[in-house]
Amino acid sequence: MGAKEIVDKIKDEANAECEKIMSEAKENAERIIKEAREEIELQNKKFIEAEERKGVEEEERIVRAARLNARKVRWDAEEEMIGKALDEAMDRIKEIKRGGFKGNSYSNILTGLIKDAAMSIIAGSSASSELEVMLSEGDADASFVTPDMLKKISAEISAGGVNVRLSLSNERIKSAGGIIVRGKDGKIEVNNTFEQRMARFSTSLREEIVKNLFTK
Amino acid sequence: MAVEALKLIRGGEEEGRKLIEEAKESVAKIIKDAEEEVKKLKEKARVDEKNLAVQISDKYAKEGEVEEKAIMKDAEAEAEKLKTTAGSNLDSTVNCCVRKNFRTCLNFFQRKV
Repeated sequence: MGAKEIVDKIKDEANAECEKIMSEAKENAERIIKEAREEIELQNKKFIEAEERKGVEEEERIVRAARLNARKVRWDAEEEMIGKALDEAMDRIKEIKRGGFKGNSYSNILTGLIKDAAMSIIAGSSASSELEVMLSEGDADASFVTPDMLKKISAEISAGGVNVRLSLSNERIKSAGGIIVRGKDGKIEVNNTFEQRMARFSTSLREEIVKNLFTK
Repeated sequence: MAVEALKLIRGGEEEGRKLIEEAKESVAKIIKDAEEEVKKLKEKARVDEKNLAVQISDKYAKEGEVEEKAIMKDAEAEAEKLKTTAGSNLDSTVNCCVRKNFRTCLNFFQRKV
């Protein structure tokens, strides 16, 4: 083999080596890009799934909040009408001062309220009790309750076994109507004003009001 | 003559070495370019993800708002119905409250203790 042939062979081998190196490099580059694309695609898929989950959660949160608000709207409407019923009931109770109730005068109603309160105070007691009846300014001025009435009520209750003496107090209460009966020592009192009775009944009344108001 | 031949062969070897070195340099550039492209792909994916997140979030928020409107519309209609029913039952209900308030005291008035 001559020198020229040897040189040609060296060059051929070098060229072949170059081609091999370049080919491997291109393959590597393509693999790197392909792997990166696959990784990005996978990440993208996971990302979309996570975002979709977040989106669904957000939608559910909005719907849950809307349902709560809706419940509140209905509840507010109910409360508004219950309040209206109670207010009107209170207004009508105030009218009873003028017109009475079911054929009973306001004086008779107060008599009933005084008896009710006095009986509550002496319940379970055997000792005699001195009780005073407090009225509102207007009721006191109109003499809806007189000392004679109280005497009669005292006698009626005392006939039951416990000696009771009722008297009118000079103290006045702020109320639309009704009375407060209190022991002379001030330790115990029963508030039978219209407002307090309404408040006391309001829990049990609510059920009845709801039943009556919202039944077609 | 032999010296000339050796020089020729050495020249050939030198040329071959240069070719291989150049090829190796090209390899580094090819890999660097590929890595650069990967970097760009990742950067683009990040930007795409941000846009996608906004799109997905908007889609579900809008769906939620549509449902919310429907729920509130129903609730308001129901509230109006409740008020109408209550309005027509108000008088009898008020009477019931008044009766209850006075029932016990009237009993006390009417009965002997």
